[in-house]
Amino acid sequence: MSALTQTRVAAPVTFWKAFVRRPEFITLSLIVIFCVVVGIISPSFLSIKTVTDTLRASLTTGIFALGVLLVLAAGGIDVSFTAIAIFSLYATTRLTLAVYPDAPYLLMVVVGLGMGLLMGLLNGYLVYRFKVPSLIVTIGTQYLFSGFLKAFIGSRHIMDIPKGLDLAGTTALIQATTSGGARVSVSIQVLVLILAIVVTWFILNRTLMGRAVYAVGGSIPIAERLGFNVSTVILFVFGYAGLLAGLGGMLHGALNRQANPSDLVGSELNVIAAVVLGGARITGGTGTVLGTMLGVILIELLTNNLILMGVPSTWQKVVIGAIILLASAAFARRGKT
Amino acid sequence: MKKVLLIGAGLIVAAGVTGVLAQKKWTITTVVKITGINWFNRMEEGVKEYAKTSGNNAVQTGPAQADPAQQLQLITDLVAKKPDAIAVVPMDPATLEPIFKTAMARGIKVITHEADNQKNTLYDIEAFDNVAFGANLNKRLEKCMGGEGKWTVFVGSLGSKTHNQWADGGIANAAKNSKMMLVDAKQETSDDADKAYEKAKEILTKYPDIKGFQGSASTDVAGIGRAVEEAGLNDKVCVFGTSLPSIAGKYIETGAVDGIGFWDPKDAGIVMNKVAQMVLEKKAIKDGMNLGIKGYEKVSVTKGPGMGKIIRGSAFVDVDKSNYKNFPF
Repeated sequence: MSALTQTRVAAPVTFWKAFVRRPEFITLSLIVIFCVVVGIISPSFLSIKTVTDTLRASLTTGIFALGVLLVLAAGGIDVSFTAIAIFSLYATTRLTLAVYPDAPYLLMVVVGLGMGLLMGLLNGYLVYRFKVPSLIVTIGTQYLFSGFLKAFIGSRHIMDIPKGLDLAGTTALIQATTSGGARVSVSIQVLVLILAIVVTWFILNRTLMGRAVYAVGGSIPIAERLGFNVSTVILFVFGYAGLLAGLGGMLHGALNRQANPSDLVGSELNVIAAVVLGGARITGGTGTVLGTMLGVILIELLTNNLILMGVPSTWQKVVIGAIILLASAAFARRGKT
Repeated sequence: MKKVLLIGAGLIVAAGVTGVLAQKKWTITTVVKITGINWFNRMEEGVKEYAKTSGNNAVQTGPAQADPAQQLQLITDLVAKKPDAIAVVPMDPATLEPIFKTAMARGIKVITHEADNQKNTLYDIEAFDNVAFGANLNKRLEKCMGGEGKWTVFVGSLGSKTHNQWADGGIANAAKNSKMMLVDAKQETSDDADKAYEKAKEILTKYPDIKGFQGSASTDVAGIGRAVEEAGLNDKVCVFGTSLPSIAGKYIETGAVDGIGFWDPKDAGIVMNKVAQMVLEKKAIKDGMNLGIKGYEKVSVTKGPGMGKIIRGSAFVDVDKSNYKNFPF
């Protein structure tokens, strides 16, 4: 699908027409429409603070979404990544506090990534070894990971997180005071997201594995005939999603400045919605990094500005649901034409 | 002289014997949801204190994991040993109904805590009335705000019964003062400090003149506190809510959070055991009675959902910068 789109771009049509054909166009249009509507309702929305707040909120969701993108593109689904994330964060935090409280953030991230990778690989192994739908497998492992965490590693809320983690969350890349006197800052963690974006884009667009991922997501028999090793691809996408989940978990801990074993789990549908709103099909074979990031921005704008729009708390979920449905209808229409 | 001593010694022994006879040593076992966490460690302090002062054989136990099935197994084993009374903090009241029924049929007195929907219990003990607790938090917020200004209240989820009762108690209190302006009430935070942080930032953007926040989930004040601190508004915005010193302490210290409220599990532990003892001594617990513990000096006794009764204290603990270090949990 992605390859098809690229050939179309190369075809002698105008840039605008080519752009309109891309699924990201719908997502971008929705973002623009949303911003105009909120801007009219509440002028305080149109400020630099909205940009920095949305960026901050997009950090963890963005990292998770990149992992989900790969799994979706390969035709699977993963709902266990939130459990993997909080497991990696909490276990790494406890380990660090017990063994080496002054550990630098980078070392903690490596440990968290390792844990995430192992859990992701377990997902992948279960999916291809037992030929069970990945939804069922990852529902199971979500319970397994978060249950194991609370039963054997700890259920206590950790407020005194290691210094390295705290510092990573509070260090700002850019900091400024607006004319209105409000402080705005962009966390250093934005670099982590940028790195994850670049790596994921490279894998999907510049490597053989990327082609294999889309091929497996498109049709497993065809992928096999093309000579792709399906089990390796499945292991790779779940492993990569686990790795990014571990990274996202560490990021959540740093930004939130605490490790609470009951965080994150339950928010996975938000992330999956973001990826789908970015143009990836739930049935696999499609999806781009740019679209996914736009989907994340759309979801975060949506969930973080409803108070500003004056939507009462009881109605917020209704509005989020309605907009997701509306957006998917737009994608469905595009699919027909 | 020798004879006098002998008689004296005899009298002392006799007095000792009658003393023991007058007060039989009861075996009371407290079963908590999970062992090893700060909250129930604090409760154990209460159980130990009770054992020391009463002379009864009072101990605390609980499953190593927060699992209703494990708690049930533990209580089943305990009932086989037939203690005089059990005082339980149920993980899931419904799971425990059959075993409580069996226990009572075997003559074991059953007391519960934090389970006002438990049917098979003699007395369920609640630290306070939730609406009154919410109102109390709001009174402290109102005072901090100087009795006027915009304020809002967060809940962990709109479906949480206790969170809504606390929020409604607060809203009803503020409604009495026309200068207290409630805005965008009951935002959901999913019991996640980061969600509370994002919602608080949004409220701060929408209402730059907001003066007060009331939190419900224990994580709410931590998230709100961080948003307030980052905005440099520690002195301008008042933050109160249900939380624990171990979670909110960091922000109470900096002044981002002005105060929190909770109940002390140590006192609840003592009260459960005291009530068990009174039941064993066949003393009825009446409405308005003084149980001799702070916050339980004038308890309300109402009919529960089953055959038992609910005892409610007014044991809120108000904590701020001056005293949060006294509560290490």
